[in-house]
Amino acid sequence: MTEEQPRESVIVEKELPLGPVHPALLEPFRVRFFVNDEIVEDCEVILSMPHRGIERILEGLPVERALLITERVCGICSNSHAWNSVRVIEKGLNIEVPPRALFIRVIAQELQRIASHLIFIGHAMEVVGHETFAMRAFLLREEYMDMLYFIGGNRVHPAVPVIGGVRPRCEISDSLKRVILETLERSERKLRNYVGRVVADPLVMGRLTGVGYLSKEDAIRLHAVGPTARASGVEWDWRMEMFEYKPFTYDYVILYEGDNKARVIARALEIFECIKIVRQALKDLPEGPVVNRDWSPQRMKFTDSYNEAPRGELYHSYSLDDYGKLRHYKIRTPTITSIHSVEFAAKGDHVTDAVVTIASCDPCLACCNRVEIIDEKSGRRRQFTSMIEVIKKYGWRR
Amino acid sequence: MDLLAGVISVVVCLIGAGLAIAMGAVIPGIERKVQARIQQRIGPPILTPGFWSWLKFAYKWPIKPWATIPRFYESIIALGVVIVIFALLITLPPFWGVLGVASILGIAGLLKLEELIYVLAGSVSQSFLSVPFLRHDLAKGGTKLGFRREYFEQQAAFRALKMAAICSIPLYIALAVPFAVAKSPFIADVISIQNPAFFLGGILPLPSKPIFLTVPGFIATIVYFAGYVMLLNEKPFNIVKPKVDLIEGVFLEYAAKYRTYMYMLIHIFTFVLSSIFVTLFLGIPLDPTKPALLALHLALTLPLPVLKAVLAAFSPVLTFRQLYPASMGFTALAAFSLVLALIL
Repeated sequence: MTEEQPRESVIVEKELPLGPVHPALLEPFRVRFFVNDEIVEDCEVILSMPHRGIERILEGLPVERALLITERVCGICSNSHAWNSVRVIEKGLNIEVPPRALFIRVIAQELQRIASHLIFIGHAMEVVGHETFAMRAFLLREEYMDMLYFIGGNRVHPAVPVIGGVRPRCEISDSLKRVILETLERSERKLRNYVGRVVADPLVMGRLTGVGYLSKEDAIRLHAVGPTARASGVEWDWRMEMFEYKPFTYDYVILYEGDNKARVIARALEIFECIKIVRQALKDLPEGPVVNRDWSPQRMKFTDSYNEAPRGELYHSYSLDDYGKLRHYKIRTPTITSIHSVEFAAKGDHVTDAVVTIASCDPCLACCNRVEIIDEKSGRRRQFTSMIEVIKKYGWRR
Repeated sequence: MDLLAGVISVVVCLIGAGLAIAMGAVIPGIERKVQARIQQRIGPPILTPGFWSWLKFAYKWPIKPWATIPRFYESIIALGVVIVIFALLITLPPFWGVLGVASILGIAGLLKLEELIYVLAGSVSQSFLSVPFLRHDLAKGGTKLGFRREYFEQQAAFRALKMAAICSIPLYIALAVPFAVAKSPFIADVISIQNPAFFLGGILPLPSKPIFLTVPGFIATIVYFAGYVMLLNEKPFNIVKPKVDLIEGVFLEYAAKYRTYMYMLIHIFTFVLSSIFVTLFLGIPLDPTKPALLALHLALTLPLPVLKAVLAAFSPVLTFRQLYPASMGFTALAAFSLVLALIL
């Protein structure tokens, strides 16, 4: 880690605040650009607009019922939340998951990762101002949403993982396997064509190259995760650690440029690695049951689990009481850590480019907002990840 | 006889203004259709983005824009519509006799005035979208307080000023090329060297030597097209109103009937610039007294908006980092074509 150098003082002429209601910000958050002429000298991202209190809702619910809600934390990476929440209890109570179920979980996860990355590319192109590329990305995404629908019965919330395996309706038959493989073949060709055109477009690349630079040291210092960190040369992907991914051969996309172009291309290249994983999983799909029902809710100490969501490191943790009720649920989504790194990276660019930089970490705000409390007297503030922390610090008040 | 000629001139001008409004109501629909087809969409019906959107906003509940000088802000957009229609009228044959108006000075002056409309409208507008939330920021943990907050429209006016000062220069140089070829500042002379048959009468007097088909004219056409897109603030030169930061730019606060004026301004301006191009570079003036020539003129005004739609479909928004070099390149190209026009 490098020592922080004292920054030279710069003249800030004015503030240009965007949001929380703004067409460029698809979700409610607020970005305040402090500009001199039109160059961003400083930037402040204010979150906590759509706090939903998911952890509070989960508190005290029976575990099976609660885990239906965790999927609703996010509409884009719903499978990551559902999967990670069941991984916690499977780890805590040593529940064995059938190999076939593990493979189906990986397939659903990777299909959703592709759909999420295509949303990002579409959104990035929209923010850059290229409508045609944006619409083409959303059109390409449709095939992956359809595949999720074929597996889970739903496009946005396929609800594939359950405790001990996957939902029986998510069984992949031979005919479905054939359909998915054929669709992958077709869509991969279209994707290669699309990505090639995006990369070859000099105007789009002119907007992205060299803008929003984030060095590897800064990415580590500011806790960037997922493709945002990997585009700055951080060689880390939680899938390296997950036993579910051990049977598959694929590459981790690490780029070293650290600019907006790298963040877009890192995700584009990851899509092809995801396709590789899905193909292998379908080809080597083991026979056998898809769910293990041989478990019962019981006391579980505080357990945590990490997963590589499309945006990066996703953390879930909770404990169970004697009745199998959920206690102290904590969620930390990748956006909350990555957003501050791009807030830093946006400095020094034109305002219009800085908006692209903010979007380049693929922010997903609805799932990242946690309780924040500010002490007016001291000015200290703290973000809390669960209700229990708030109660511990400030006491229970009815 | 003079009275009759005067009446005919007024009628011709009224027909010209009516045509500008009618074409302005259709052209955006054609543009949107072209863009939609490129993007594998069906697109809206042809009359929806122009004609029906004008009507729709005209009948909306009248909301007064929020501005420091409200009357000025409300009237300036209507003034803009009048200016663009007048810019078309001075290219009509009845105006050719009014020396000093039907010339490059008249066209360039009115176009520059139009650019100033953007700056003036943006300078006095204050959208609620950009400034409030002072307490809100504090409550949500904002640490930086006490800075002057800029309104989106005022930031857009700042950009419009930069565009008017630097990025529209190529258009004006390209506009001078037909006049340089004609060695005269008057529109009548520009038409006479391209289309002598026009002054001899006939049903369809076609140009014999359009400037577009000469080397300086062709180069100037390319530059004129780039300037046309810049002046209309369309992609890739729409830094005055990029959706990602300034939303609608200087026109953000216009609603209801003022929004109708705004759409009329933009849509009619698209047609007027195309019409000026057809008149000056192809030698086919907009003359309502010659229906065949009129039909040809109107048909030839369509390629520029269609090309603009194609360019917009394949372009991102460029920032000043790219705009300044692009403007300098086009200025050099336009200057080269002007020198060629003077030499050849």
